[in-house]
Amino acid sequence: MKIRFTVNGRVEEKDVREDERLLDVIRDDLQLTGTKEGCGEGECGACTVLIDGKAVVSCLILAPQVDGKEILTIEGLAPGEELHPIQRAFVEKGAVQCGFCTPGFIMSTYALLTSNIDPSDEEILAALEGNLCRCTGYAKIIEAVRYAAELMRRQK
Amino acid sequence: MHHYMKIKRVPELLERITDPGARILCGGTDLVVKMRSGAIDPTLLLDISDTEALRGIEGKEDRLIIGAATTVSEIIADRLVAEKLPLLQTVLRTLGSTQIRNRATLGGNLVNASPAADSAIPLLLYQADVNISGIHGDRRVPVEDFLVAPGKTTLTSGEFVRGVSIPAPNAAFGSFFHKVGRRKAMIIAIASLGALVSMKDDVINEIRLAAGSVAPRPIRMRELEQAITGKLVTKALIEHAKTMAINSVSPIDDVRASADYRREVIGELVARVMRDAVSG
Ligand SMILES: Cc1cc2nc3c(=O)[nH]c(=O)nc-3n(C[C@@H](O)[C@@H](O)[C@H](O)COP(=O)(O)OP(=O)(O)OC[C@H]3O[C@@H](n4cnc5c(N)ncnc54)[C@H](O)[C@@H]3O)c2cc1C
Ligand code: FES
Ligand code: FES
Repeated sequence: MKIRFTVNGRVEEKDVREDERLLDVIRDDLQLTGTKEGCGEGECGACTVLIDGKAVVSCLILAPQVDGKEILTIEGLAPGEELHPIQRAFVEKGAVQCGFCTPGFIMSTYALLTSNIDPSDEEILAALEGNLCRCTGYAKIIEAVRYAAELMRRQK
Repeated sequence: MHHYMKIKRVPELLERITDPGARILCGGTDLVVKMRSGAIDPTLLLDISDTEALRGIEGKEDRLIIGAATTVSEIIADRLVAEKLPLLQTVLRTLGSTQIRNRATLGGNLVNASPAADSAIPLLLYQADVNISGIHGDRRVPVEDFLVAPGKTTLTSGEFVRGVSIPAPNAAFGSFFHKVGRRKAMIIAIASLGALVSMKDDVINEIRLAAGSVAPRPIRMRELEQAITGKLVTKALIEHAKTMAINSVSPIDDVRASADYRREVIGELVARVMRDAVSG
């Protein structure tokens, strides 16, 4: 069936299979491969994107469900060559090792910080509990989120 | 091959709900997982996640009506719920992760009818009714009767859940919820216990207890409630309640925990509720 939706600010019209996942449309049809597939069952958060500003796992959403919606993927975060402050914070604080989980963490962080620019540690943990990282241990990631919040507050 | 329909209005749903192979889709956090594993293979998906009539939270006299397609995140953020039904928010904050809560709905959690369904605990305690609609009209069933067994509710063919109707309690209750699970991040419970307690000095004035993952469905522990209501909380009463709790549940062994361990956990949580009630 035909669906029409916005991805990173661009209107897309796609012919999708009814049982195709949003994740497949993003990676295969749109070739936006920053969004990763880990578990495919909603557990790991590697496939996190924003729909209408809210963090969701794209592996549990069927393509026809996003008709008329606004999607943001990791590719839509930083216009041009410069890194988004969240990306900068993750790199500078050493929160990235193999990098597989990173786009998902960054999208969850983005959803958090765009609605709450000064989150408590508890709010940070709640925002990130759906994202798993096998490499870093979470301390550096939490630190990166705190630093990203600081950078974004300074920008304001 | 699946067909898909975005339902805008309830009459469209009623028109297709009895089609062979039709299945309601809401947040998809249970359904899509089951479709992908091959456990189910619906031929027509009726997506109610954007059906306005099934969404939202509204106060009506002394009750709160929550639409079936309202997401867990929306319920957690609602001020009326915070004021009238604080335990509902406490419990739903522990459901899945932010990404899951942004999609998971109250109706989906109930109809999926897992013995671990978290929303069932506060709904049992607040004595909510499930509002059911269907091709033959509307009916209303207490949550306690709605949930039957794993994956089974009293919904019949041609029916769907419109929402839940929850009476705001008039007594001042202290509330308790604890979930014991395998992993910190995303707990699908090994066992959970919720309670609403009102005390007069150290005497239990009224108590409601509900437990998850220790029976084929989330349960109210009515016999135990009756046995300890009106009693002074003593060490002996706590021991007695613990034994009753252990004997009143019927958990199963599964990959996450043994039945015996689940019994023990429920006994311990009941004891904790009672100790908290006298110390708090
Ligand atoms: C990673 C992960 C973690 C989770 N953690 C928890 C947890 O901690 N606690 C917990 O309780 N649950 C947990 N869940 C399950 C929870 O997300 C679901 O039970 C959710 O609430 C279901 O809502 P939904 O809208 O996604 O339902 P869907 O998946 O869309 O539907 C579920 C079922 O209900 C039916 N249905 C949906 N709405 C209606 C309606 N209005 N009328 C009739 N039938 C309907 C569907 O046909 C389907 O059979 C978790 C799930 C995942 C993937
Ligand atoms: S791939 Fe979607 S949550 Fe793991
Ligand atoms: S950096 Fe490797 S999984 Fe997180």
